[in-house]
Amino acid sequence: MDIQTLTNLPVFLWLIWLPLLWSPVIYLVGRLARRRLAVDTAVSRWAALIAILSTWLPFALTWQEFKANGVLSYTFGTITLRLDGLSLLLATAVLALSTLVILYSNTYMHGELGESKYYAMLVAMSGVMVGLGCAADIFNLWLWFEAMAITSYLLVAFYRDQPASLEAGIKYLVQSAVGSVFVLLGVALVLAQTGTLDIVQIQAHVAAQPDSLALLVAGGLFIVGFGVKIAIVPMHTWLPDAHSQAPSGISAMLSGVVIEAGLIALLRALAPLAGTASTWGILLIFFGVLNMILGNLLALRQQQVKRLLAFSSIAHVGYMLIGLGTAVYFGEVAGAEGSFFHLLSHTMMKGLAFLSAGALLYVMHTARGDHDPLTIADLAGTAQKYPLIALVFSIALLGLGGLPPLVGFMSKWQILVAGFETRNLIMIGVVAFVALNSVLSLAYYAPMVNAVYRKRPSTAVQSGLTMPTLMTIPLVVLAAGVILVGFWPSLVNGLVQPAGAALMAAFGG
Amino acid sequence: MSAWLIILTIGLAWLGAVCVWLAGDKRPRAQHTLAVLFSVAAGLAALALIPNTSDQAVINLNAGSVFGRFTFVPDGLGVFLAVVATVIGCLAVIFSVEYMRGEAQLGRYYALVLLFIGSMAGLVLAGSLFLMFIFWEMTALCSYALISFYNDDPKAVRGGIKALIITQFGGIGLLVGTLAAYAYLGDYQISTLLAQAQTLPPGVLSFIAFTFLLAAMAKSAQVPFHTWLPDAMEAPTPVSALIHAATMVNAGVYLLARFYPAFAEVTGWKTAVLIIGLLTALLAALMAVVATDLKRVLAYSTVSQLGYMVYAIGVGGVFASQFHLLSHAIFKALLFLGAGAVIHAVGTRDMRQMGGLRKQTPVVSTVFIIGAAALAGLPIFNGFWSKELILESGLEGGPIWAYAGMVLGAGITAFYTFRMVWLVFFGQPQGKTHVHDAGAPMQTALIPLALGTLTSWLLIGWFGNWLQATLPYEHLHVAGTGEMLLAIITAPATYLALAVVALGLAAWWQRDRLTGLGRSLQGFGRAAANGFGFESLNQGAVNLTQKAAAALQLTQTGQLNWNVVGIVAALVVVLLVLAGAA
Repeated sequence: MDIQTLTNLPVFLWLIWLPLLWSPVIYLVGRLARRRLAVDTAVSRWAALIAILSTWLPFALTWQEFKANGVLSYTFGTITLRLDGLSLLLATAVLALSTLVILYSNTYMHGELGESKYYAMLVAMSGVMVGLGCAADIFNLWLWFEAMAITSYLLVAFYRDQPASLEAGIKYLVQSAVGSVFVLLGVALVLAQTGTLDIVQIQAHVAAQPDSLALLVAGGLFIVGFGVKIAIVPMHTWLPDAHSQAPSGISAMLSGVVIEAGLIALLRALAPLAGTASTWGILLIFFGVLNMILGNLLALRQQQVKRLLAFSSIAHVGYMLIGLGTAVYFGEVAGAEGSFFHLLSHTMMKGLAFLSAGALLYVMHTARGDHDPLTIADLAGTAQKYPLIALVFSIALLGLGGLPPLVGFMSKWQILVAGFETRNLIMIGVVAFVALNSVLSLAYYAPMVNAVYRKRPSTAVQSGLTMPTLMTIPLVVLAAGVILVGFWPSLVNGLVQPAGAALMAAFGG
Repeated sequence: MSAWLIILTIGLAWLGAVCVWLAGDKRPRAQHTLAVLFSVAAGLAALALIPNTSDQAVINLNAGSVFGRFTFVPDGLGVFLAVVATVIGCLAVIFSVEYMRGEAQLGRYYALVLLFIGSMAGLVLAGSLFLMFIFWEMTALCSYALISFYNDDPKAVRGGIKALIITQFGGIGLLVGTLAAYAYLGDYQISTLLAQAQTLPPGVLSFIAFTFLLAAMAKSAQVPFHTWLPDAMEAPTPVSALIHAATMVNAGVYLLARFYPAFAEVTGWKTAVLIIGLLTALLAALMAVVATDLKRVLAYSTVSQLGYMVYAIGVGGVFASQFHLLSHAIFKALLFLGAGAVIHAVGTRDMRQMGGLRKQTPVVSTVFIIGAAALAGLPIFNGFWSKELILESGLEGGPIWAYAGMVLGAGITAFYTFRMVWLVFFGQPQGKTHVHDAGAPMQTALIPLALGTLTSWLLIGWFGNWLQATLPYEHLHVAGTGEMLLAIITAPATYLALAVVALGLAAWWQRDRLTGLGRSLQGFGRAAANGFGFESLNQGAVNLTQKAAAALQLTQTGQLNWNVVGIVAALVVVLLVLAGAA
């Protein structure tokens, strides 16, 4: 491949390659620096920041090209990579959150054992997720999905001397592997039945021959297989442990983008099979209802902040599934747009929540050397010492609870509108149930806001260290986003509408 | 012009919130000053809207896709309530300068109060159902945050979360009603719903009517959603005066009045509204009779008076309800702020530890008695005129048994009002003997309200005609001031009501002679003290939820084997569903 071919490559490929190329460099540079310069220079964290910032250039170019020319694609041998609205949505979310998390981890992960591996894996995971979004055939999709899983195992089980962390890692690994096997079985079934792996060709085959037991089973396998990563109830059991034991930046990534990447992978794999049954949407709505009620009720019982936020993520996946189910079953575009809007708003709000909780965990526990989790009791009086963190944390929580004028309200509203536009009595009941769940969730978000603004600080707050400034920058950026997009929801139209259109097209709507 | 005034009314309040927050808790004097300045400015902007009303949307922003157009309509009903919110808001802020002196976290307090004032003004001026819902939710947020302002007091936190959950639960009614209107009409504009209500399928219109009623019931603390208001008394008293007496709780009444033209013809709607109003008015009045916490008496009284306003709408007296809303906002704010001054001086809310305060607090006792007289419905205070108007509407437009109940309620109101005034200001001092009167900031807030209580009824004719001018869908029964006042004075029903009020006053005065009657009603009194079982219903719902959550916790076994079983089980279920559907 000569320079000419290289420069003629579509720019969106660089979105995938660049982080993947940087990843081993970050690791090597980090390890070599530690060996040569005896002092802990943590070069890898700056290398990682440079890596992710450099990825913004191809991103900007990709954005321009997509807006000008529509879907971008590139074929290499038998593998096609295609960037459509859905891919762009995922890429934006991944890149934005990774940049903020890398900046955040600069202080948070400083001095930890295996820091270079952390940054290498994090950057690699970002590239891999963009690749997942661009996959055009189901086996390639599975490969990127697996790659994402592998990079995330190491990140979840990062604190390898903490038994709880290892336990969470093992559970995540085994359950994720079970899911992956199911997906692979599904891929095999599809290949056996249709003779092809390409999504467009599968769709054509299904259009010609919709009745097929094998494809039906494959679809079921996809839902359950990808469902483990998406934390669909009852495949969600790994999530609370993984989210609470992982370093806070990774918790933010897991809730903010990894779950969503799994969701997009499911949509990609299921779309060509849509013609085989009319019940796919109903299944999604059904699981959505389960997720909401279980996530909200179990979050009510939690005393550890990060565990509570993990269960809250399960509930929010429920909202997204209901919107998507409405779109798939009833053909309501608003459902798809609402779910994708909620995907973005959840990335912002949950990312903010985990990062602020992590910041408090850092100053109150981790930086002082103990490995205790952050509890709601620890939050008491946070505003006395850390007013900015208290404010942004409250913004995240109230946004997650769906209170205007924050972004969580706007995205939930769009999903609810879609449900009502179906004019279907059961959907109206589901919408009322969603609203009820939103109110229920306030019962566990509000007490944390109350705790944060108490006058009498907890012992943890009293003995807490100073908040490093670099850690607060990503928090302020996310909080600004939550408020801004809450006031002007049309700011994200450029991302959400193409994604919604791509989904409806893929499902043959 | 109106567009700018609306922007200023809401914007100045919100800007004030940000400025007070930025001033920081280390500069309380700056915070007090900024809060007063911005709230007064917002009040002036709202007052300037009075001559600039219109029934057309003056602001029209396209929010895109499913969010519709954000519009503001400065019609009479909206401007009236915006003025009430901002003017009483600024009086409450002025009162807070003394009441909250030396308190911590003032930034949060004033920011939330100002955020609330702006949101309330926005709620009533919004021309889009979606925008109205947004402000509705924002007022609920501010209310919750201010009730639980003293976060270290578990009662306050509980009260705040209770208020949040109950009003949000009711808010679901407004949410689904709005969604239904949008799904069937294609846009969120209130004017569209009012104009095209009759074109909707009857089932849909009924659905919207009753879900809106649900939301109004929760927001205005009507039975059975009234349980949050008494517990909301944990809030600092200026907040109770502003939010839980004069403004936010009126949002439900506003909703009913606003959409009355659309829902009046829906089968059973008006009857439901009047029954809810009647029940609330009576039950809350009875609960006030046995309460010993001064603010709780006022809270129950608010619930009861809101019941009067809701009843008025149910019998078609929309103007009567709004006129009483005006009177009530003024005299109830007066009573709450007066109570705040008393509580601030005495240090307790328990009336059994007060008594004989009249001599030491001449200003406070005078204004409080004025407010109480208005509440009891004594002529010539504003409460008398508006309550009589409601009762007359009830006689004309509603069933006679409901009318009788409301008259009885007036008597009970007089009874508990007299009881309250007596226990606090007369009789033998039970507690602290050395009590100070209200200072300058408190008096600055109290005296205008007292004057308002004495004179606001004179506006009846002007007010009615001004309202009617910009409400094309409403048909208010209004005339000139003289005519309306004469109608009230010459109606025999007025004297019947006055007689019952006199009976109520006499009952307290002669309570020693009525001990027999008192004893026989003791069981009833105990039921009233327990909120007639509604508190237990509340607690039951909470317990049920906690039990469900505890039961579900068993699914999180922590064991990998069970987790994998879960995955496989899910696959089985999915395949079965697919097979069943195929």
